[in-house]
Amino acid sequence: MNYSVLDDQTLIRLVARAHADALGVLYERYSRLVFSLAWNLVGDQATAEEITLDVFTRIWEKAETYRPEQAKVSTWLTSIARYRSIDMLRRRGSRPEQHSVDWAELAPDDLPSSDGPEEAAELAMQQQRVRAAIAALPSDQKQVLALAYFKGYSHREIAQVLNQPLGTVKTRIRLGMQKLRDLLLEEQRVA
Amino acid sequence: MATQPHVIELLPAYTLDCLDEEEFVLASEHLAACPDCRTELRAYQAVADQLALAVPDAQPPAHLKRQLMARLQPTRPAASTPARLSWWQQLAALMQRTTPVWGLIGLVLIVALAASNLWLWQQVSRSQDVSRPEQMPTILLTGTEAAPQATGLLIVSIDGQHGTLVVDRLPTLDPEREYQLWLVKDGQRTSGGVFSVSRDGYGSVWVKSPQPLSSYTSFGITIEPAGGSPGPTGEKVLGTSL
Repeated sequence: MNYSVLDDQTLIRLVARAHADALGVLYERYSRLVFSLAWNLVGDQATAEEITLDVFTRIWEKAETYRPEQAKVSTWLTSIARYRSIDMLRRRGSRPEQHSVDWAELAPDDLPSSDGPEEAAELAMQQQRVRAAIAALPSDQKQVLALAYFKGYSHREIAQVLNQPLGTVKTRIRLGMQKLRDLLLEEQRVA
Repeated sequence: MATQPHVIELLPAYTLDCLDEEEFVLASEHLAACPDCRTELRAYQAVADQLALAVPDAQPPAHLKRQLMARLQPTRPAASTPARLSWWQQLAALMQRTTPVWGLIGLVLIVALAASNLWLWQQVSRSQDVSRPEQMPTILLTGTEAAPQATGLLIVSIDGQHGTLVVDRLPTLDPEREYQLWLVKDGQRTSGGVFSVSRDGYGSVWVKSPQPLSSYTSFGITIEPAGGSPGPTGEKVLGTSL
């Protein structure tokens, strides 16, 4: 059976019935996304590999709990990856200060391949939309959002790291997220 | 209907988990009572969910998939492949083939165990130096309004590094949610473990913390999405202050 033509939800149903090949296809489809997220959050290769393995192992063990009405499979995977990564950082009791964080540059020519089923094409398009929206933010808003998202810093911690007033940081985060929301909603309407 | 002022300005940061503690509590309490703010929250959550798509690309090494598949195969054979006997099934089969021998060995073991248990019981009764559980610090957790019948006991090891949490009479959760223990110090919450409870509300978890458990000032248990959260997001069901 050629699992690679199946959509994500069908693959998850097969994973719930212990079809390892179905998980293999999900891994091919999303491992780069999960690994990229983990690597950018924790800042080292070995830990990012371990988190990636944990995420897909969890999918294997908990596939029957997936509810498509609540989130896409890709969102489910990245949520687990981010929680695991931030939990790992907090358990370490320190964060990789030396590891600089930033959003991906918008490079349309370098987008992931959109070959394959609908989900893969949609993911590539969605990546392009989100990267374009972030690229449209002022740099100070991008910076505070990166520190909150990649490092799990609180408002207060971001203010300390940037040596900026707390109120300024709160405003930048709020304005940045509001603008992203508007841009992404607008993109969805256009699409 | 919510009577407090709306918390819409806090929601962008709420979805990124970057609110400070007081604001987080304020927003959580308001959200529980305000459908309008919950609708706003979902919109911002959709944005936060998409941020993962904007991280710089990195390629996982090729060997990682092999490692993953090697992890899976022994734990759950594919439904379409013939089931391979697990070690205990093979042991059971071996025992069936050698029943007379194992019967004799089993009888000898039972007698030996009974004798050793009797001896140990006598030793414990006589000894004044046996380690007693009460020597370990214990911390009582009491149920909140969300789970008033629930109780919890955190037993801390002598060196304060590890502990075991035992809970009773907590509501059973659906598979998408689990309980999460939080270790609190200086307003910071660190996960102490994620666990579920049995149908009768009983559960236990080994608590591992980055710092000695004795250094934390309070403990709490909340309901979180399965697998746990980076910070408490759900309803608190058990808690205490040292």
